[in-house]
Amino acid sequence: MVYVPRTPPENNVSRTHPLVELATLLGGVAAAAVLLTLAAMAALDWIVPHIPPRLEIRVFGGLWPGAEALGEPDGPGARTRALLLRLATHWEANPYPLQLTLLPAAQPNAFALPGGAVGVTSALLDSVQSENELAFVLGHELGHLAGRHHLQAMGRSLLLSLALAGFHRGGSEALPLTAASLTALRFARDQERAADRFGLWLLAQEYGHLGGAADFFSRLPDAQAPQAGLRVASWLATHPLSADRVQEVKDWARQNGVPLQGPLRPLPWRHQDRR
Amino acid sequence: MDTTIWIQLISSWGVPLVLLALGYGVGTSVERSHYRSLRIREARMRSLPALNLQRPPAHWKIAGAGMVTGSVVVSVDYFKRFLAGLRGLVGGRIRVYESLLDRGRREALLRMKEGARQQGYDAIVNVRLETSRMASSRRDGKGTAGVEVLAFGTAVRIAR
Repeated sequence: MVYVPRTPPENNVSRTHPLVELATLLGGVAAAAVLLTLAAMAALDWIVPHIPPRLEIRVFGGLWPGAEALGEPDGPGARTRALLLRLATHWEANPYPLQLTLLPAAQPNAFALPGGAVGVTSALLDSVQSENELAFVLGHELGHLAGRHHLQAMGRSLLLSLALAGFHRGGSEALPLTAASLTALRFARDQERAADRFGLWLLAQEYGHLGGAADFFSRLPDAQAPQAGLRVASWLATHPLSADRVQEVKDWARQNGVPLQGPLRPLPWRHQDRR
Repeated sequence: MDTTIWIQLISSWGVPLVLLALGYGVGTSVERSHYRSLRIREARMRSLPALNLQRPPAHWKIAGAGMVTGSVVVSVDYFKRFLAGLRGLVGGRIRVYESLLDRGRREALLRMKEGARQQGYDAIVNVRLETSRMASSRRDGKGTAGVEVLAFGTAVRIAR
C-alpha cells in the first residue's frame, strides 16, 4: 500500500448560497402563514353566521357591566341605554337581551360587544351634540350586532394575534383577548358600510329623517387624528374614509327617499361643563 | 407618530434585523478567511498522513507512538441559527451548519496533525472524530452554546 498525499475534494457543503436559501425559506414560510391565516379567516366568516345567538349569549352574556354601572337614572348612561332599547324595538329579529356598557375612556368610540352589548366611551357621550347623532352611533353598533360582525372581528383579532405570536415565536407578543385588544376590534370596510346602512335605517324608522348621521363621522377617532396604524390588524381592517361615508349617507337617503336633514332632538340629559 | 410605536417596531424588528445582517456579514467573512487558512495549512500538512486504519501497516518500522488530539469548539452566529430555525419548519439540508461542521472537522484534524508534527511524529493511525454538543445554561440546558469537534488518534514515529 502506497500513501499518496492528496487534497480531498470539498464536497461536504451544499452549494446553495445562504442568502438564496434565506429568501426561499422566508418567502415560503411567510406565504404559507398568510395562506393559512386567510384560510382560517374564510372558515371563520363561514362559521360565524351559523353560531346560534343563544350560545353566544350564554358564553359572553355576563361579561359586561350592565345597567347597574350606568350611574344616576337620568344621567347620560341610563338615558343612552333607554335610547338604545327604544331604537332596538324597530329591529324585530333582535335575538339579544341588549345591554349598554359605559367605558371610561378619553377617545370617543363605540363598540359592538359579543353577547349583545353595545359599549360607548364616556368621551363619546361628552362629545355628541344631539340625540339623533347618538342614535346613529348606537344604530351603527346594532348593525354590527345584527350582522354578527363582532364575532367575526373577535375571531379575526384572535387569529391575527395567534399568527403574529407564531411569527414572533418568542411568545412575548402573545396577545390574549384583553381589554386593550378589545379597543383594537375593528371591522372590515364593507361591514362598516353594512352597519352604517342599518344605523340609517333605524334613524329613518325612529325620526323619519337622517339628521345627525353625518355629524357622527366628524367625531370618529380616525377622522380626528389619522394615526398611521402600524399594527397589522388596522391595516387589514379599518373604517372607510369619513368623506366616503358621508357620501354614502347621501346616496342612501336618495335611494330610500328619506330626507337627509330634519329637526334634531336635544340630548336627553343636561350637559355639564362643555369644553 | 407615536414614539412608543417606533420603540416597539425597533425592538421587535430592528434589533433582530441588525443581528441578522451582522451575523451574515461577519459570519461570512470569518468563514471565508477560515477556509482560506484551512486550505493553506492542509496543503502544508499533506505529507503527514492521518489514517483511520486500526494498526499501522505491517511494514512500518515503528520507533515510537503516542496519542495526539486536536479539538475545536465552534458556535453558530445569529444568521445561521435563524436559517436553521426556518429549516426546522420544513426540513432539508441545513447548509449553514454543514459548512460550520466541515470547518470544525478540518480544523480539529489540522490541529491534531500540527500537534503530531511538533512532537516529531511521522503519521497518525486509528484516527477518530467525535462531536459533542455543549449545552447552554439558558433554557434549562436545552439551548446549544456550541459544538466541540474532537479528532484523536495514535501518532507514530517511523524509524529510517
